[in-house]
Amino acid sequence: MKRILLPIGAAFVAAGLAISGTAAIAYDGTKCKAAGVCWEAKPGYPEKVAGSKYDPKHDPKELAKQQTALDGQSARNAKRAEHFKKTGKWVYDVSKL
Amino acid sequence: MMKHLGKGLLAGASGVALVVAMASASLANDKLNELSKSNENWIMPGKNYSSQNYSPNTKINTENVKQLRAAWSFSTGLLHGHEGTPLVVNGVMYVHTSFPNNTFALDLNDPGHILWQHKPKQDPAARSVACCDLVNRGLAYWPGDGKVPALIIKTQLDGHLVALNAATGEEFWKVENGDIKVGQTLTQAPYVIKDLALVGSSGAELGVRGHTTAYDVKTGAQVWRVYATGPDNEVGLADDFNSANPHYGQKGLGTGTWEGDAWKIGGGTNWGWYAYDPETNLFHYGSGNPAPWNETMRPGDNKWTMTIWGRDADTGKAKFGYQKTPHDEWDYAGVNVMILSEQTDKAGKKRKLLTHPDRNGIVYTLDRENGDLISANKLDDTVNWVKQVDLKTGLPVRDPEFGTRMDHKGKEICPSAMGYHNQGHDSYDPTKELFFMGINHICMDWEPFMLPYRAGQFFVGATLWMYPGPKGDRQNYLGLGQIKAYNAITGEYKWDKMERFSVWGGTMSTAGNLVFYGTLDGFIKARNSDTGELLWKYKLPSGVIGHPMTYEHKGTQYVAIMYGVGGWPGVGLVFDLQDPTAGLGAVGAFKNLQNYTQMGGGLQVFSLDGKNPYDDVNIGEFEKG
Repeated sequence: MKRILLPIGAAFVAAGLAISGTAAIAYDGTKCKAAGVCWEAKPGYPEKVAGSKYDPKHDPKELAKQQTALDGQSARNAKRAEHFKKTGKWVYDVSKL
Repeated sequence: MMKHLGKGLLAGASGVALVVAMASASLANDKLNELSKSNENWIMPGKNYSSQNYSPNTKINTENVKQLRAAWSFSTGLLHGHEGTPLVVNGVMYVHTSFPNNTFALDLNDPGHILWQHKPKQDPAARSVACCDLVNRGLAYWPGDGKVPALIIKTQLDGHLVALNAATGEEFWKVENGDIKVGQTLTQAPYVIKDLALVGSSGAELGVRGHTTAYDVKTGAQVWRVYATGPDNEVGLADDFNSANPHYGQKGLGTGTWEGDAWKIGGGTNWGWYAYDPETNLFHYGSGNPAPWNETMRPGDNKWTMTIWGRDADTGKAKFGYQKTPHDEWDYAGVNVMILSEQTDKAGKKRKLLTHPDRNGIVYTLDRENGDLISANKLDDTVNWVKQVDLKTGLPVRDPEFGTRMDHKGKEICPSAMGYHNQGHDSYDPTKELFFMGINHICMDWEPFMLPYRAGQFFVGATLWMYPGPKGDRQNYLGLGQIKAYNAITGEYKWDKMERFSVWGGTMSTAGNLVFYGTLDGFIKARNSDTGELLWKYKLPSGVIGHPMTYEHKGTQYVAIMYGVGGWPGVGLVFDLQDPTAGLGAVGAFKNLQNYTQMGGGLQVFSLDGKNPYDDVNIGEFEKG
């Protein structure tokens, strides 16, 4: 039995590898879970990277910086445009408004 | 009753005001349209709203093009790469430059006299967050309305959008549209529709989340802003978004196809060219690559990066979005030119089309009214990451052999990250129904690596080696480009020619049966647009990464082109880099460019027999006032 089981086990392992390998080769971006959702993890790579060896470990504070910058710009621009509408003069330095 | 009447009167008054405002806005459109029809003007980088870069002028043609000679020239005084092309409006030429983004107005009666110049003082730190040399792609013109003067609108690398009085060069307004501290820059030519100045964003190589913003040209006030990634209301999806093609995906995907908050640093900037159809009121452009380049770090389809958009000009809302390269693995940033045409499809139906040669090596043609995919053909038969694009699903059928991933070095991937087509502004001859496309012929090896996101720092995560494609000379690193004539309905190429280096800047075609383009090694060339036969060329002081334009002045047709090598292909040359993987892989591919050209920016103008304003030797002479 053992002699039989081992090859079967090995075959399973081999099949597993083969399935994995086949899937890697088969990944062509056309197997969609929903309209517009067609990405698949490549074999051996995680569906989610958080907690995996490929976790980019994003810092939420860093991720928030762009929007903070844009919000600040928009607020300053709004003050400048408002002043311009009232006076006809464009003043860039908001501390002078 | 009085209150009611008052309300009615107010409503009526505001209705009248709205109608007047809309009429005024339409007037601006009409003025630009009218101006663009004249052979004497080139009022936007693509000549007209269709971005065809085509002139009906026949004064210079296949019979006499050999007589083209230098007419006059203008040095911009700057050394780095000069992309784009100047504008000509009512006898004045407006010339832009690389950083620090100076602007010059030249009188075409006496171009040796600078009418005005705008030289902004920018934080030099902007240079350090520029992705790929210090380029700028050009200017926009708004024609004025009698109360507000005509304006020249420009971008600065430091993230500012600036409106100048077109008559004087004085700043009319100046708004912040980016912050270099978090990597947000601007390199794009702004775009005017009605009374709106549209502008995109740059910085995806620093993880910048892309956006498009409209400002009121008269006041500088922000009217709307839409993003490439994030919640639907921020991406700006119309209620009927993709209703004609629901298989492209519809709602919830700007966050749902990203892991966690990765969409906040997901790229999708747009720094390429826009086109607009006044009849549909839709404008079109492409959002760029997802960030970082390392695909393993960002699972998902990464919508809506790499997308061809059809958005309403008044609201920014998207009627359709077609993602060309879902989950990009190669930096095939989708920002390239959109050229509008009206052609009959294979079924015999007249359609409003949009044609877009993409970085990913596919040239797409869509119905620009609803986003239907009409054709998607390879720019060259050596494209290998994709087997084909399924026209029914719109999906690229990838060849996994050329995919990229962590712990793997992908080899012989075609095209390279530069794409088989990059930022060049191409042309379309409506009489021949041919697109003339400047092509890169470059492939690459690609090896990703992990890196953390830090706002304002480069966020790429891949090492690249680039080299000529299979049709080039790999031993000598030459044969890196092509020029091709393409029919979007049949999918056939009428002719194609190899070039020593990329045809980076694009093409301009004319009714004189000609197609003009510049080369990185510093030539401007003219070919017979029917056959591709090379008819004329001229050696410029430096390499070309911009596109030619033409204008007529006092009965003479001129051809103009900016020179000044640089841009992504020129980073090794302009920054004296040696490591072949530097410049995101460009240094290796273009290591021989330095043997053909050197830095130096300017404008060269040509005419038949070199006819020019100074043929009258008294023009421009000193006269005591």
